Amino acid sequence: MPKWFNPAAILCGLMFVVSPVLIARAPDESSMGMVYKIYYYHMPSAWMFLLAPLVCGASSALFLARGRPEDDRRAWAAAELTVLFGALTLITGPLWARRAWGTWWVWDARLTSSLVGWMIGWAYLILRRYGGPGSDKLAAGVALFGAVNVPFIYISVNYWRTIHPPTTVVPRLPVEMGVPLWFCVFAFLLLFVLLMTMRLRLEETRTRLDGLYVALDE
Amino acid sequence: MAAVRAACVALAIIGSGAPAAIAAQPPEPQDEFRPVGNNPAPEQIPAAPLLIGAYIVVLGGLFAYVVSLSRRLGAVRHDVERLEGELKRRGR
Repeated sequence: MPKWFNPAAILCGLMFVVSPVLIARAPDESSMGMVYKIYYYHMPSAWMFLLAPLVCGASSALFLARGRPEDDRRAWAAAELTVLFGALTLITGPLWARRAWGTWWVWDARLTSSLVGWMIGWAYLILRRYGGPGSDKLAAGVALFGAVNVPFIYISVNYWRTIHPPTTVVPRLPVEMGVPLWFCVFAFLLLFVLLMTMRLRLEETRTRLDGLYVALDE
Repeated sequence: MAAVRAACVALAIIGSGAPAAIAAQPPEPQDEFRPVGNNPAPEQIPAAPLLIGAYIVVLGGLFAYVVSLSRRLGAVRHDVERLEGELKRRGR
């Protein structure tokens, strides 16, 4: 692992220990009450869920253009994080919605496009696992669709009528609510970088293992 | 004439469905979050189990993924060390 990995992991761990304290001290929301505090983990998870397919799509585009294996490895790592953070977003969202909206799920543009984005992440991973020879390029094509879906997910709440809060709630947050939120965003971003580094290392080690098997057979 | 009649029927069907479609529109979204005042509204659905559940899902999910990643990495590293040892023994 790189030299910065262990200090960054300790910092990230500390941030996740401190974050519940900041969240507990933040005020409840006027109409939703205490359940609003799911937002402090739901929103950063959702942002990582949007970041991961962008990394996956950009790396896949580079892989298709240049054919370098390191781009493919980065795309694969990001696809796994798409599925992870997508699951966290799609579980915490309904838990919040049950209390805030009175329903677990609505088939509006934001929720439906998020579900589609998550399924594209799964499609990538299933292709890589069971697709056989050539699945790397096929999966890279799928990843491009996943990346194109991201801006649609983000702007969907501003262009289509939905009960999901629009993107404008974040800049309008009062300081006592904004500070814990941005703290959690940075904690999740740091975690994202750490997980990407670990997942990339796994792929690099697997590549090395394949090379050793070849050398042993010769 | 038949085409005009068909168009009128289609318009009537669409027109009769419009109020239902309008009524089925979701309510206006909340476009701003405000801190609670001195008199919080009474809760109809208890929030605490949902809130605690959400935090358990996130922290538990992340922890499980880190453990899974560490185990996979450990297993692959072990195989690499084993094969490197095997290659050394064969003098390559």
